[in-house]
Amino acid sequence: MEQLRICHLYPEVLNLYGDRGNIRCLQQRLLWRNIDCEITQVKIGDRADLSAFDLFFIGGGQDFEQEVLLGDLKSGKAAEIRAAIEDGKTFLCICGGYQMLGHYYETYEGVKCEFLGAIDFYTVGGKVRMIDNYAFRLGEESGGSTVVGFENHSGRTYLGPGVKPLGTVLKGYGNNGEDKTEGVRYKNVFGSYSHGPILPKNPELCDEILRSALERRYGRADLSPLEDRFEKLAHEKVLERVLSDRNSGD
Amino acid sequence: MSTIRTIAAVAACKAARGILRMLHRGGTALPGKVAMKFDKEVLRTVSRGMKIIVVTGTNGKTTTCRMLEHALTRSGFPCLANKSGANLLSGVTAEFVCSADWRGRPKTEYAVVECDEGALKQVVPLLAPEVITVTNLFRDQLDRYGEVTHTLNAVKSGVEASPQTALCLNADCSLTSSIALDVPNPVFYYGLDVPVGEQKETEISDARHCIRCGTAYEYRYYTYAHLGGFCCPNCGYSRHDADVSVTQINSVSPAGSEVRMKWRGSKKDAAISLPAVFNIYNAAAAVCAFTVFSDRLKERHGITLPAESIFDALSDVESSFGRMENFDLDGVPVQMILVKNPAGCSQSISYLTQLKQDYMLAACLNDRTADGHDISWIWDADYEKLSEDPYLKQILVCGDRAEDLQLRLKYAGIPEERIELLPDFASMLGKIRTSNLPVFAMPNYTSMLELRGLLSQATGKKAFWK
Repeated sequence: MEQLRICHLYPEVLNLYGDRGNIRCLQQRLLWRNIDCEITQVKIGDRADLSAFDLFFIGGGQDFEQEVLLGDLKSGKAAEIRAAIEDGKTFLCICGGYQMLGHYYETYEGVKCEFLGAIDFYTVGGKVRMIDNYAFRLGEESGGSTVVGFENHSGRTYLGPGVKPLGTVLKGYGNNGEDKTEGVRYKNVFGSYSHGPILPKNPELCDEILRSALERRYGRADLSPLEDRFEKLAHEKVLERVLSDRNSGD
Repeated sequence: MSTIRTIAAVAACKAARGILRMLHRGGTALPGKVAMKFDKEVLRTVSRGMKIIVVTGTNGKTTTCRMLEHALTRSGFPCLANKSGANLLSGVTAEFVCSADWRGRPKTEYAVVECDEGALKQVVPLLAPEVITVTNLFRDQLDRYGEVTHTLNAVKSGVEASPQTALCLNADCSLTSSIALDVPNPVFYYGLDVPVGEQKETEISDARHCIRCGTAYEYRYYTYAHLGGFCCPNCGYSRHDADVSVTQINSVSPAGSEVRMKWRGSKKDAAISLPAVFNIYNAAAAVCAFTVFSDRLKERHGITLPAESIFDALSDVESSFGRMENFDLDGVPVQMILVKNPAGCSQSISYLTQLKQDYMLAACLNDRTADGHDISWIWDADYEKLSEDPYLKQILVCGDRAEDLQLRLKYAGIPEERIELLPDFASMLGKIRTSNLPVFAMPNYTSMLELRGLLSQATGKKAFWK
């Protein structure tokens, strides 16, 4: 039986906005296909061999708690994460977890926080929060499907030259509200601002992520199609509302 | 002393409410806004000399208020209360203005006020209450309130605005009790001295790290969510001994709970007519607030209010709208449990799964402004527990985001064929009416208003603003 080893990084601090639903989704969609999966939580202070995992999930957190983990990253995990990324391991990183992969975060007041620098981008704190349901289209290398989610961030992210976004904004703000880019796609790293959580309502993206991890591990990925009736209903409901500018039930 | 401005504000407010009621609209905030157009601080005038308890916090505000109000009324102390749930400055203003006389002089001496966490700093300076009770702090509608620390700071600045006011804080909530670290007010604590059921560390915690130094808390015991006997191993910030505490939980059923409390240094058995653990907390909050209120009336005003009467009130207090409210729909018992955030939702699910009786669940989810547009919190609530409950026979889902809720239930492990998506609340009511099992309805705020509207029509209950 095939198996993926999933690492949930910093679940005790990066656990905002239902993002743990992504883990649930990855796990279920593997189990429904009789692929085993093992989920390991790696917390602050835990020493774990990150090279032993196939897929990493990093969520978003509260600002005050996020500071707690910067010290832990410096103690060695940062280098391991960079190595895993370069090694083609699959990452799903949301919001704060996504920002963390860039060079730095500069707050609105001008305080600079050094991040991992694993991918060439940076984030600057803005005055207004970008909050609402939104939609974007994935780049071809990520399957090209449409994704719906909920964004809630004041940080504006700017990708370096040649760095590919995860997708193109159809409606909403995305990385910075200016250049229509959303998230980042680098090797097998999928970075996005989308909460929701992102995966359950976007099963094609979830399968794309699983496929990349299975291919990296086994050189092939056979994902049998699933009956995604509930997934599609939820996806279409939000997409229809976002595209017609009705962002809530009001 | 009333000025022309006050008189105009009162007249305009009463007229606005009168017109809205004539139109059968439960306008609760608009009349207050109208009054404030004439006199921005009219609330100060119309509450002058009143003795007031304010209740704030994420969950349990309405029910705690209801307990306090019931205890005051029962003791022969008629009081004003913003029962309609309008808990922002405008709603509180409307309530006080409309119950004052035409010159803006209060007609009642006492009031129990539910106040939104964010509105506390506007409301408190105008009311100068005797007591402020904080129930708990959880993540709630992050898109509206921001992170939980923002809410905490908002509550702090509300409390600081009235340094004479006594504070009653939940000792078990590390966020709530941290308010005492930074404010000059006299502080009293309430809490549970014992764990509840087999609660252990939950995967989702709103406060895992010390609010003072960032170190992970250690717990002697858990009650629910992040509540319990916390202690920071680094800086020593830990649960404060409670002045009023629950020392034993004897029974929990749909009809209510029986507990033993430590009160004024001795043991006191208490029956609470509202079920579930969160209502045990609400009861402890109410006992603490009422006792402190009684002491202060004596000390500062020479008034005797028998503090024990809170216990009688707990035994026969009725639920407030949508919060453990019971209906009989053509012979089908319906209990409605309002759920607005992961902590409240998980607690409600725990309540359902420990009942051990066959039931149907009617779950509703809207995403309007009053609910918060972000519904991702449903993934932080413990719906997985429902999939292990053999007594849960069917789930109906309805609301603006019913499709999301349905998907959540699927990933929680509930078989698709046990879930039924309904297009509107009228069809949901139809399904409930023909159920041969008791029904528990679990709506969020605006879906509760909709479903409750239909239910109250069908069963002859009053509209919420009456």
